[in-house]
Amino acid sequence: MYHLDGTDILDEPYYRKTFSVCPECLKKIPAVVEEDDGKIFMRKTCKEHGDFEDVISSSAKYYKWTHYQKKDINGNVVWQFEKNGEANPPDCIADDRGCPYNCGLCNEHLSTCSLALIDLTNRCNFSCNFCYANVEQSGYWIEPSLEDIDKVMKHFRSKPIPPPAIMFTGGEPTVRKDFPEICKMAKDNGFQEVIVATNGYGFQRKNGGAEWTKKCREMGLDTLYFQFDGINDATYEKTRGIKGLMKYKMRVIENCRKAGFDSIVLVATIATGVTDIEIGNIIQFAIDNIDVVRGITFQPVSLCGRISAEEMHELRITNADVIKEIEKQTGGKLNMENAWYPLTTIVEFGRLIAYLADVEPAEFTCHPDCGFATYLAVDPDSGEMVPLMEYFDPLEVIDFANRFWEKVKHKEKKPIQFFENFLGDFGKTLDDGLNFLDKTQLRARFLLGVLQYMKKPGKLMDMFSRLLMNGDWESVSSFSYGTLLISSMHFQDAYNMDVERTKRCIVHFGVAMPNGTVKELPFCTMNTLHRPEIEKQVAKAITQKVRDEFDTSVGQAREDIEIEVMPNGGTKKEEEDSHD
Amino acid sequence: MTDEVTETKDGFKVRKLAELKTTTAKELEDAMLKRVDYFKEQNEKKSSFNSTIQNTFFKAFSSILDLKIGIDKALGPENLKQVHKAIDELLLFGL
Repeated sequence: MYHLDGTDILDEPYYRKTFSVCPECLKKIPAVVEEDDGKIFMRKTCKEHGDFEDVISSSAKYYKWTHYQKKDINGNVVWQFEKNGEANPPDCIADDRGCPYNCGLCNEHLSTCSLALIDLTNRCNFSCNFCYANVEQSGYWIEPSLEDIDKVMKHFRSKPIPPPAIMFTGGEPTVRKDFPEICKMAKDNGFQEVIVATNGYGFQRKNGGAEWTKKCREMGLDTLYFQFDGINDATYEKTRGIKGLMKYKMRVIENCRKAGFDSIVLVATIATGVTDIEIGNIIQFAIDNIDVVRGITFQPVSLCGRISAEEMHELRITNADVIKEIEKQTGGKLNMENAWYPLTTIVEFGRLIAYLADVEPAEFTCHPDCGFATYLAVDPDSGEMVPLMEYFDPLEVIDFANRFWEKVKHKEKKPIQFFENFLGDFGKTLDDGLNFLDKTQLRARFLLGVLQYMKKPGKLMDMFSRLLMNGDWESVSSFSYGTLLISSMHFQDAYNMDVERTKRCIVHFGVAMPNGTVKELPFCTMNTLHRPEIEKQVAKAITQKVRDEFDTSVGQAREDIEIEVMPNGGTKKEEEDSHD
Repeated sequence: MTDEVTETKDGFKVRKLAELKTTTAKELEDAMLKRVDYFKEQNEKKSSFNSTIQNTFFKAFSSILDLKIGIDKALGPENLKQVHKAIDELLLFGL
């Protein structure tokens, strides 16, 4: 690996002290993250509940690379994957307990929010037994009003560094009839990217599904974060408890295709012995549907809830395991050692691109342990999907981008203001021209700098450069068409929580509270610690209508199922279905 | 999906290896080129002056790109490292 070449880092056992929580009582306890037998473990002791141990990474070598600090001859750190974020002003001050108990967002938090989340409902047409967001299992109903949703959106967008993207979560967000209007509300509030985490319910309808998909797109929905455990019905029976789901999933794909919707990210929860076997299938499915699929996110299972130590060790799978499995199931084409990088690799690169392309930045200053990614693009000459690393040396480009950003970052806050000082408005016009020329020469210098590290030319880099120079979000994001971002994101639970990770989280929930405020909570602490308490404060009583609305054994609305049955008890033919 | 699928004793369909190959490469290339043209037109509408500068740059950029690959092969890895260092210094000069 690049940064470990010529170092003794591989021989030094990894050891780091941090804080975590007891999985039984959720009290804050000291923990160590250490190397043992080629793996990385978190070990901690609760005075009341004893010792706990969990695997953080199945590859100590890979883990040490992501935590490596490259130092100069004076011992100063010049490169590391742990990046300093620019935090927004806090909403509250941490008390003596410190992180992770004071979420809302407290002054100990080190990163800004890059992806805002809003739970639109805890209603769902499925009833997955491990899901935290479920009306039936929780016993109460969560569904913010449009006014509350607007309040949360304004909270996020009013920050000095607002998140450019928002994701609607649940339950199943598309059970809400006002879902398209909520998408429009997000665009009206200035979000550049509007995403929905969905099992596909609203998009898979036999009648009207394509029209509804098109309507959502027109109203502002950009991306489906689409639950997809594999290509086998048997997998979904194990994971979701529902038969025949693959047909349901294919209807989503087809309706998106008909509606001209081209941004789906397949999301797979990976658990050992359950869905890891589907990893290769999911990648091939994405490639076979590359016209509508933009990415895959593998999510090693997060164990929120009480289970035995034995069960935990059986199910536990880490990012490194997923990456190794991908390497195996792609015949080594996506190599663990050189195709994958922590998300934090591109922090300065992202800031520089945002500045040069005049778009809002997305700050990826999460912890190096949070997630890894690789990027595939279609090689127009061979028709094969190849990692972008085949086109250029990524760390050389990143090094150059980091040095470039270090030199130009002051210009972001202080554009040229020479003529305005003594020519007023006319001077401002001249300054605008100077700023444009300055930025154009910076773009040219940067592109030439990247060019020198390219290993092979081709239409792909030519197209990327043109899109970058065109300078807006739409053109930069359109580069993703025909490409595939594969990532592995491991959300924390009480067994592996590391407050150093928690403090750097960039994915935040927003909840409108009864007292009129908006509470902002990092994803992992919301789901591990705070969710029950928060939900009790905003919960409504469940109505009979809500209880009766879904037959979760088939994943459909009861009104849809009933319509399929003829008055004489027979079933209608598919083309005669009249629902929606 | 291709035909290389095996079935486990549990009834799972497992592909032997994901091929990383798409059958739609030509269509995707055409679609991307159409997007480039679309954004080129949009740019021209905003400002023909800006558009002229960018198009001139890109003609030069494409030629330099092809030349560079040839030069890289001729230089060899050690000399290339030194050249990269010098080019970096040049590009960062004055910023």
